[in-house]
Amino acid sequence: MFGRSFNLWLGIGIVACVTVLGWMLFKSSPRAEAQSGSPSPAPDSDVFTPAHRTVLQAVREYFGIRSTPVQPIAFTHKVHLANGLQCTDCHVGVDRGPDARIPSVNFCMTCHQVIATDKPEIKKLAAYRARGEDVPWQRVYGFEPSAHVKFNHAPHIRAGVDCKVCHGDMTTQTVAERKVDHTMGFCIGCHRQQNASVDCVTCHY
Amino acid sequence: MAHQWGMVIDLDRCTGCEACVVACHAENNISTVGEDQAARGRAKHWIRVERYYEGEFPDVKVKFMPVLCQQCDAAPCEPVCPTYATHHTAEGLNSQIYNRCIGTRYCANACPYNVRFFNFYNPVWDKPLHLQLNPDVSVRTVGVMEKCTFCVQRIKAGEIQAEAEKREVKDGEIQPACVQSCPTRAMVFGDLNDPQSEVSRMARSNRATKLLGELGTLPKVTYLQRDSWHVGEDARTD
Amino acid sequence: MERRDFLKISAAGGAAAALEGCGNPDHQLIRFIPEEDLLPGIAAWKPSICTQCPAGCGLLVRVMQGEAEVVRNGQLGIIKMGLAKKLEGNPNHPINQGRLCPRGQAGLQVTYHPDRVRTPLARTGPRGSGQFQEITWDDALKQLVSHLSALQASREEGRLAFLTTPLRGYRKSLVSGFAAAFKGAPPVEFAFFDDSVIRTANSSSFGHASPPTVDLGQSNYVISLGADFLGTWNSPVAQSIAYGMMRKGRPGQRGKFIQVEPRISQTGASADEWIPCKPGTEGVFALSLAHVILRDKLRPGSAAGASIEGWSQGLPDYAPEKVETQTGVPAATITRIAHEAAANAPAVALIGDGATAHTNGLFNALAVNALNALLGSVGKPGGISFTPAGASQTGKAASSDFGASVRALAEKVLSSPDAVKALLLYNANPVFATPPGWRVREALDKVPFIASFGSFVDETSALADLILPDHSPLESWLDDAPPSGSARTVASLAPPAMMPLHNTRAMPDVLLDVARQLGGDLAKALPWKTYDEALQAAFTTLYREQGNKAAKDADEFWSKAQEQGGWWSAEEKPAGVGAGKASGAPMRNTGPQFEGAAGEFPFHLLPFAAQMWYDGSLAHLPWMQEAPDPLSSVMWGSWVEINTQTAGERGIQQGDLVEVASQHGTLRAPAFVTPGIAPDVVAMPIGQGHANFTRYAKDRGANPILILAPMTIAETGSLAWSATRVKISRVGKGKMVLFGGSLTEAPPESRHR
Repeated sequence: MFGRSFNLWLGIGIVACVTVLGWMLFKSSPRAEAQSGSPSPAPDSDVFTPAHRTVLQAVREYFGIRSTPVQPIAFTHKVHLANGLQCTDCHVGVDRGPDARIPSVNFCMTCHQVIATDKPEIKKLAAYRARGEDVPWQRVYGFEPSAHVKFNHAPHIRAGVDCKVCHGDMTTQTVAERKVDHTMGFCIGCHRQQNASVDCVTCHY
Repeated sequence: MAHQWGMVIDLDRCTGCEACVVACHAENNISTVGEDQAARGRAKHWIRVERYYEGEFPDVKVKFMPVLCQQCDAAPCEPVCPTYATHHTAEGLNSQIYNRCIGTRYCANACPYNVRFFNFYNPVWDKPLHLQLNPDVSVRTVGVMEKCTFCVQRIKAGEIQAEAEKREVKDGEIQPACVQSCPTRAMVFGDLNDPQSEVSRMARSNRATKLLGELGTLPKVTYLQRDSWHVGEDARTD
Repeated sequence: MERRDFLKISAAGGAAAALEGCGNPDHQLIRFIPEEDLLPGIAAWKPSICTQCPAGCGLLVRVMQGEAEVVRNGQLGIIKMGLAKKLEGNPNHPINQGRLCPRGQAGLQVTYHPDRVRTPLARTGPRGSGQFQEITWDDALKQLVSHLSALQASREEGRLAFLTTPLRGYRKSLVSGFAAAFKGAPPVEFAFFDDSVIRTANSSSFGHASPPTVDLGQSNYVISLGADFLGTWNSPVAQSIAYGMMRKGRPGQRGKFIQVEPRISQTGASADEWIPCKPGTEGVFALSLAHVILRDKLRPGSAAGASIEGWSQGLPDYAPEKVETQTGVPAATITRIAHEAAANAPAVALIGDGATAHTNGLFNALAVNALNALLGSVGKPGGISFTPAGASQTGKAASSDFGASVRALAEKVLSSPDAVKALLLYNANPVFATPPGWRVREALDKVPFIASFGSFVDETSALADLILPDHSPLESWLDDAPPSGSARTVASLAPPAMMPLHNTRAMPDVLLDVARQLGGDLAKALPWKTYDEALQAAFTTLYREQGNKAAKDADEFWSKAQEQGGWWSAEEKPAGVGAGKASGAPMRNTGPQFEGAAGEFPFHLLPFAAQMWYDGSLAHLPWMQEAPDPLSSVMWGSWVEINTQTAGERGIQQGDLVEVASQHGTLRAPAFVTPGIAPDVVAMPIGQGHANFTRYAKDRGANPILILAPMTIAETGSLAWSATRVKISRVGKGKMVLFGGSLTEAPPESRHR
């Protein structure tokens, strides 16, 4: 093994590992990202644990590497907003509680059973409902579970923070994109400006 | 003025029933560790009931005392943390920031009350017991310390609600899970900065003591010693 | 390529693969459309009823949206649904007024238990083997209906038996109604903690066959003879609230409380004085107090104790000096307590648990009733009273002969073949909770068809041929008529707090479905499609009986009751106390009797209700296994309490494994050495020692019921579970898991402010 060609093979081995690792770290994963604060339940396991399922997942989370979400239906915010809908028409409850909910397919179909029914994406929508399935939207914004962030929308809405401050201008987006990077610095910067508390326990508990 | 959260536990009312212990588990996503790990001293009872036996048969007295994190104003656990994962908040709580914690366990070493618990392994819930988990409370992972937070999630929720309604938090509105469940109403929680709050009034009782107060930890939990059979001046009207 | 090179490259590739992990990482469950309209992150609070013990406290359930794996149309998927996250006491409920005990808090784990029966099961292996296969509801109902209609066809309806946990309210009406309309045997109710002695005594003394409601909050002197009223007896939360008030809820007053029992219970630990008395002599103690009161004219003489022999002569046989040896309590103590009680009105006496489980349990209870009457505490503030309840108003009242009837059932089945051809089992576990001498297991083996509605496989439901799993309580329409704990009439009511997680069906709905399918008188007697329809009809009747005070019409009454967790009378007005239906000659003390010669079996075995497992029916909940026992701090196991000196004499140290042997069997458990028990008494908690009953309870600890002598209390037929004598011996080193430090340290009483 420790012959003349050892260094060559060692070098090849390292390059191979790094390539594979890099590919795995950065590849886009269609799997649902974890909800902030709660690791996704693994359907093929009898137990729930906050442990990562693989070392790779742990490493990705540590570096904050998240793949770009691929949505099952090409929902376009631009069109809906242009047609007069407000953010809170669909994202109900954002001024009352922590979460800005994504509505169920039933909610979409209240309009789309008659509106734009010939469009292929709407047909996809109708097909989900026909199958009794909800649309598996992929999370765009969120925090790593290990950050233990308890973000609460309602006080921010009540404080007058506009949706576009944290989510970008949705009138220019079709499918939601991560236009704003929710680093801790982003949050702290605004908190300092607005004289809101920057005590750790404000968000992390 | 900022709130200073504190608690009073009236040992003359406490019957050792442990409603507080189980309520805390339910509220705070505390995993059960099982027999083997419990035998290794790793059960995580953020609040526990201690029992002390005095005397010999037939003159035996038993005393119960619930012990939880005292949220000390001079907490020995705070200065020893190398990553500032536990600090004193403006409202008098001893915080535990899980994502800063790197698990040196120096804080547990320093705590004289033994109220800090370490996650020696990733907690596990047999499905679907995990559906009970409280979404307002973090699920702690391996290598991280945890302890009573005075149900900080309830404090936050109460303060946010009061702010939304443009009013002050009312006395007794915020109750940690233990206080809320206690059948004998032995536990009282509130703002020590408000001299009229129930917790402040009860802390002025002549039965008031502090657990290990001589160590200088300045605990925020006041224990009212069990009374003997005489007219109690400090009873409150139930 | 050379072999070693291949290995190098494979190793590199293999390592990368290991990083990704094996399994099928891209398998994703489909998402069903939510069936409820919930806002994530925002809690809804729904009323419910606690079913963890007989007290009947009201709950508020915190329901929040979460994601659960469920099966719809045979397919596994994820659904967003309302999930119960936390239980609190319902602040408006008259019994528990917003408070909740540890058992109540643990109710959540029943719904989410991993070992719940999730779908109907049919037995495949031999009875009791635990081998079942999943079947559909259609199949299950078909089988059940066919067995019952076979009984009808052969005119053997009388051979249908129900064996249930004690039921109350409209659920009881439904089950009894079914049995009656089917012409089956009246349902047999079973629970280990059978309050038939108390009910019989109270019926005899006061005209109320029910447990007492104790107004502790106004008492100034409380004497409890064995009743664990702050832990497990009667209505513990209501009593604890009142206790807190008695101690420190009335400025200027603090009630005194004495606990008289051979082993200090959790309640006894809070007493100002624990007075150990010899087992079974609680009644004598009470009468000795009465003797002093009569002798020293501390109260006017009354006919109160006419049921006790010697009362009108002043109870000469019960002078303190005469009963000192018998009770083990010094005469001076008895005299002092009598004087203190008389001087500190209101004074009240309670009896229960082990003290009423002796062969002379009824005598003990009547003695305490007489003492209460003499003290003037019956039907008065600070004393005992009775919850006003009308059987018609709130459904059927609870029964009173739990133990006797299961023993009679077993005897019937064993003595006549085919006495019972079909048994419907609902949450009763007599195979665990009766002494083998009653031969319940043997009797059940003779019943050709057993169907169980329970959610878990326990020692009794493991014998079923068919399991039709009920919803968990939080998933069910619930109603209750608590027999004590409040001076108001209470009719609790709650809709389901959450949707069912599994393929279960509400037991009452199944019965109604079966009734409909069988038709005839049965279907006429139970005309409702679902249980909530039946409840609405019952509440309409209740509304009319209440004279239209509570709402403007029956519909509003029904809605309001659902919102608040039930209906209760506006005023606190205890039921009037009558003269009682004393019959027969005055009682004299003929006991207690014990089984086991004192020479060979020198110890009294006193089982007691465990704070966390109650009668064993909560041992399957992990929080209840991990919560330390209040007096010993033991977790996840059993223990035997042994007096310090006794243990020392036998070389038994804390945690040593000891063998406890009665005439009927032996068991082994670690020793808990304590000064809080008489030297000739050993005590064990009831609740461990399950042979199955889920992964958390199975094969854990020891069940003291299995070595109990099958002695009965003559007047009620119930088990005299305090009547067993045992011997103990050290086996070797044992394992006992404690969550506590040394038990002999003095408590820290620093006075820093």
